[in-house]
Amino acid sequence: MPGVRGLWFDGRSSRGRDVAIALHPGRRGPSIALQEAGRDVLAVDHDQVGWPERWSASRAPRKIAVDLREHGSLEVADVAGWQEALQAAGHRGSLAQGMQTRWRVFLGVAVVAVAALFAFYRWVTPWAATHLTRQVPLEWEVRLSNEFLEDLDAAMLKPSKLPPERQAALRARFDALAARIEPGMRRYPGYAPKLTLDFRAGMGANAFALPGGRIVMTDGMVEAAQKHKLPDDALIGVLAHEIGHVLHRHTTRMVVEQGVLNIGFGLAMGDVSTLVSFGGSLLTGLAYRRNHETESDCFALALMRSANLPTAPMADLLLKIEGAPPDAAGNPWWSMLSSHPETPERARAMKAGHACT
Amino acid sequence: MATEGRPSAIEAFALEFSGTGGEYFRVWIVNVLLTIVTFGFYTPFARRRTAQYFWGHTVVADSPLEFSVQQRKMVLGFLILVGLYIAFNVASDTGQDTVVAVMMACGALLAPYFWGSAMRFRLNATRWRGVRLQFTASWGEVYRAAWPIFVMALAWIGVVVLGGTFAPEEGEPPAKPDTAEAIMLFGAVVLAMLVSVVCLMRLEFNSKSLLVARGRIGGQPGRWKPVFGDFVRIWLATVGVFIASAIAFALCVALVVGGSFAGLANVKEAGLAATVLAAIAGVVAFFFGLILSTAPARAYREARVFHLVWNNIGVSHVARFKCELRVWRYVRLRIKNLFLTLLTLGFYRPFALVSEYRMKTESVTLHVKGGLNQLAGQLAREEQGLGDALADAVGLDLVG
Repeated sequence: MPGVRGLWFDGRSSRGRDVAIALHPGRRGPSIALQEAGRDVLAVDHDQVGWPERWSASRAPRKIAVDLREHGSLEVADVAGWQEALQAAGHRGSLAQGMQTRWRVFLGVAVVAVAALFAFYRWVTPWAATHLTRQVPLEWEVRLSNEFLEDLDAAMLKPSKLPPERQAALRARFDALAARIEPGMRRYPGYAPKLTLDFRAGMGANAFALPGGRIVMTDGMVEAAQKHKLPDDALIGVLAHEIGHVLHRHTTRMVVEQGVLNIGFGLAMGDVSTLVSFGGSLLTGLAYRRNHETESDCFALALMRSANLPTAPMADLLLKIEGAPPDAAGNPWWSMLSSHPETPERARAMKAGHACT
Repeated sequence: MATEGRPSAIEAFALEFSGTGGEYFRVWIVNVLLTIVTFGFYTPFARRRTAQYFWGHTVVADSPLEFSVQQRKMVLGFLILVGLYIAFNVASDTGQDTVVAVMMACGALLAPYFWGSAMRFRLNATRWRGVRLQFTASWGEVYRAAWPIFVMALAWIGVVVLGGTFAPEEGEPPAKPDTAEAIMLFGAVVLAMLVSVVCLMRLEFNSKSLLVARGRIGGQPGRWKPVFGDFVRIWLATVGVFIASAIAFALCVALVVGGSFAGLANVKEAGLAATVLAAIAGVVAFFFGLILSTAPARAYREARVFHLVWNNIGVSHVARFKCELRVWRYVRLRIKNLFLTLLTLGFYRPFALVSEYRMKTESVTLHVKGGLNQLAGQLAREEQGLGDALADAVGLDLVG
């Protein structure tokens, strides 16, 4: 083997010693032996060496330093000779080195990475969130929801102006609907929050569910149904959808999912740019939310069917609020930026009564 | 060696950097990919590889620098940090305000300690001709150097307390807004901001001077010459650059926006989607604007400080550095890099990093008296990696 020479710095002085380097093949990889003027001065095991990486297949740094840990470092100017001797002694580089020196290795890992990532965010995260949510106690959801509603009441909402008898009538129908929930419809079998309906003014035509069973409907929603001469079944359908959010524990699942996304994307893509990391996390989060909406729609359809109530009025109400023509087609790019699936499609599915397959 | 017979002769060595953007791009993209596949847990390996690329291509007096650290320690530090981060997130997501407050207070109190351990780790990991750098400041010195942080905190606590005494008691009807109180509060905020700026200046000076003066290589202490006044002058000049670039930026925006409003007048009706898109574009543009308008000032300050520091430090009586960084050339490079990075959604970053690192490194010359063989290494123990992981988390880049 042609001798590779180097300058050995023993860590105690900045004075280098001219040495001949011998690389001996071993079971795990080569080990190093140094000779100064024909005399053995140092032998280092494979594990005790920080082997310098190859950064490029075609170009090498002018000099490399081999890390001998407490034995100092070994400076090699004949980098090509060193690489050759290393290969001859059976040194295997890291995966990272393979990727940066051979395009084929890089592409292979890239394909695996994309597939694994897609699978993780498409299936594993929602699945894990669904199961982690089981561990979240109901009392805790109730406490947070009450605090949140207090904040909303202070900032954006006012007491409802609906006549008390109108509120009572809707609440009676809501309670009757809640009583029709069959055990098979519950995603979380042991989870039985007390479902309550509140009315508020403000925030336009809106209805939302808070984790732990509180559902809020705005006066705007009730007025919208009245204005378009839709029966109360429309409002009951909307409430059924909100009950779906509660029983599927969507808010809690979303908190878990968004947490996984923010940490995952932040760690993985943060070095590319905050924009890419934030965008990826946002788009995936929105995709999860659209899935949740579809789940709630399915729940609402099943509940309405079991209560023998029509679902078409609810679909009409959605379309009226949105102001969309019933046959409008969605824009697939635009819908990626939306937290809800396209309204016309949702409405068509509700009218047909088969949103869920 | 030629110098050994003449110990008083001075030799000059220009620092060299032989890395290339294309090569580092490959290193970086491999890091990104492996980090994604491992859901972030490749980070400590990626950091080591990045540092090794830059250190290994930096040649000082004909010998490359070496980033020598046991990977195990970096991984351990990273795992501890991930644990703390998750604990903090869980606590804040579940509304445990006391735990969050305690964690934040601990983080603030320990900030100087974290900085100190990051610097110890970094200098210790750097080796040249087999000799490790060392950071020998005691924790007392680190905390004494950190006094501006605590003054800054006191100033803002003062503002909050003052605001609290003026706020109406709960249950009381809200009193009429008192003009005198409002002026006092406003004055307090302005004062606290001024105090903060001065404290930041002093903090930068303290940390840099401590790092150099308590840094050691081969038993020789670092030498630090700049005085606080030098830093104040740089900050004042930076404010000037910021004002000028903000005005220039505002003029550009006015021209562009004026033009597009004129264009909009021709469009009879914009759909809802277009309006929403325009709003999103507006928000994004605002943040880009913030980045762009402050970029010249940030680059200017960085270049001036780099120039000042590397022109005025040395190693005992053995070596000193000279720096010929051309400040405006560096500012132009940074602005060009910023544009290209934004245009490529971040994928130009490795090229940008390499070009900035090269310009800075190659502006420095090392002057050595008495030859390169006189440093005696001390077998310092290796530092733990938690300091580096924390430094990474708060954005103290290894390279830069």
